[in-house]
Amino acid sequence: MADQVSFVILVPMVYLAFAVLLAGIGVRIGRVLVSPRHPSTLRLFPARRAAGVAALQDTFLMPQVRRHASAFWACLLLFHVSFLLLILGHLDLLPWTRLRPADSKHMLGWGAVGVGVTLPAFYFLLRRMRGPVREISTLGDYLLLLLLVFVLLSGDMMSWANSWSENGFVMTKQDFGAYLASLARFEFANPRDLLPGSHYIVVVIHVFLANLFLMLLPFTKVMHTFFALPLNRLRRG
Amino acid sequence: MENALRERLRELFAGRLSAEMRLYLDTCARCGVCIEACHVYASLPETRYTAVARAETIRRIFRRYFKLEGRIFPWLGEVLPLDDPALEKVYETAYTCTGCRRCMTYCPFGIDTQMIQGIAKLLLIGADREPKLLTMLADMSIAKGETITESKENFELAMRNLEGEVIEKWRGEAGKEAIPVGVQGADILYVALAGKHSIVPAAAIMNAAGENWSLSYFEAVNFGAFVGNPAKTREISQRIIQEARTLGVREVAICECGTAYRVMKYQTGEQPFRVISFVELIDRYLEQGRIRIDPRQLQGRVTYHDPCQMARNGGIFEEPRRILRRLTQDFVEMQPNRAENWCCGGGGGLVAMGEQEFRMKSARVKAEQMKATGAAVMATACENCHTQLSDLNEHYGLGMRVAFLSALVADALVPREPEAGVAARPSDGLRRAES
Repeated sequence: MADQVSFVILVPMVYLAFAVLLAGIGVRIGRVLVSPRHPSTLRLFPARRAAGVAALQDTFLMPQVRRHASAFWACLLLFHVSFLLLILGHLDLLPWTRLRPADSKHMLGWGAVGVGVTLPAFYFLLRRMRGPVREISTLGDYLLLLLLVFVLLSGDMMSWANSWSENGFVMTKQDFGAYLASLARFEFANPRDLLPGSHYIVVVIHVFLANLFLMLLPFTKVMHTFFALPLNRLRRG
Repeated sequence: MENALRERLRELFAGRLSAEMRLYLDTCARCGVCIEACHVYASLPETRYTAVARAETIRRIFRRYFKLEGRIFPWLGEVLPLDDPALEKVYETAYTCTGCRRCMTYCPFGIDTQMIQGIAKLLLIGADREPKLLTMLADMSIAKGETITESKENFELAMRNLEGEVIEKWRGEAGKEAIPVGVQGADILYVALAGKHSIVPAAAIMNAAGENWSLSYFEAVNFGAFVGNPAKTREISQRIIQEARTLGVREVAICECGTAYRVMKYQTGEQPFRVISFVELIDRYLEQGRIRIDPRQLQGRVTYHDPCQMARNGGIFEEPRRILRRLTQDFVEMQPNRAENWCCGGGGGLVAMGEQEFRMKSARVKAEQMKATGAAVMATACENCHTQLSDLNEHYGLGMRVAFLSALVADALVPREPEAGVAARPSDGLRRAES
């Protein structure tokens, strides 16, 4: 029974999560695209000559946050840069991508990337528990952050154990690569055959939480990933 | 609340869901960076007075009626059904926000809270709960447009009665009207407010510049924008647009009224004339040497309040400063200033509605900012701001003089230097020195 549940989580649910993610994002973006345009400018002044460049700066460097909440800004920047590296690190697990040598035992960053996202995520959670930010927060904000924290922590457990200890988890980068490659090829192979080791349950938990996160993403504020740039473009005119 | 009304409000809401509005409503991360941005929160630190909390009221209604997740997970506490208590909350969010958009300079996404409050105001209109005074003022503006033929004569007579006051400031050319109206082919159509303070100094300045101008029959202020009624906003603007087209003017100069300027400049679409602020016109006259001013006329330290709708929402930052630096050597900036200046606290219809107690309490931070300059004169270029700053000045005992830029310039007008080889015009010798 446990094996069947694990299989469902590690294979069909992953496909379902990506399907919901892509369809959800498509619907959300599509709804914006088909809505009528506001008839007049919504820009703020002073105007910058290169409005597009200014919007890119606003989106990726967040100067407004740096000016008014510098500690938060530092954590945001660390989180977002690390998250990008995390995505690259997961892609690097696939056998046909070569960001690091194929025989490398470890993920990109040797576990540091995970720390780069996890610590700021804890900061975000703590920040939300105090002061006026607490008063503007909803149950959904906490649940989403907690889900993210647990996805990251379970990922960190796998990564750190392999990176930092000779006697760590016995699953290697190549093992994970074989599992992801089987998913990418729609082979529906039993992941237990590809991922040996006693901490298989950690992998199952990590993938389950990640699936949930991906499925919820289009229906949450995480959609700012796609909307931040067009919004900043509006502000810059 | 009856279902029919609820459905009507839902339809009104849906009518405002442009692509931009969807982005604004969908994206807030509730990071709280904007909390410190609002002058109301800075003066009265209650969460309900933050930009995010105000916008959240509207977002919760949005999620309840327009989002799948709001229907599936209402228990997450992120929805607000449309009922009587909700509308009370909507009223509070709409009319404690001055629409200054200072929060946009804090938000990492640049979410426009004023735009979101436009929905709040529209819902209140739909539920017949908007401030009736604002609607009445908007209706009066529209009625004036409809009955202009009958009221033209009275308007012209009133202007004739004001001409003496214009001539006191600047005697124009012999035989030329001090306040011309209905001038076909005028270069400038000046749109004033109802009140001689908005007409007399401007007339003196334009006459001093030898401008070919005409005074609009209509007042610039757009109460349709204050009450958040897009149809009325359009109708009110349309009167001026029609007049400018009929006269064939090159430029429409909007008096010192921030909202009027922003609506005409940025919200009326392409027109065959250019829209400028009267402040820009004064700056142009000074740059071109068409008027001269005596800096000795203005005594004491001077500071300038950037009206939100003209500065961060309209792009006029340097013109007033150039004018003031010609008027005085003792100019000091407010801190913060320009795009980050604190709102005066009187926008969004609050001044027109009265709301004295709330305006004074919620703009304490503005009064402190004014006081910190040590200035004797507080110049500004917006009617709303002028009223609010004057009230703050009195309420907090700041001992300042609050003045319009145009009034300061008109009081300091002096004859131009005659150009080399060109004799001064006959009227140049009869200037305000006589007064």
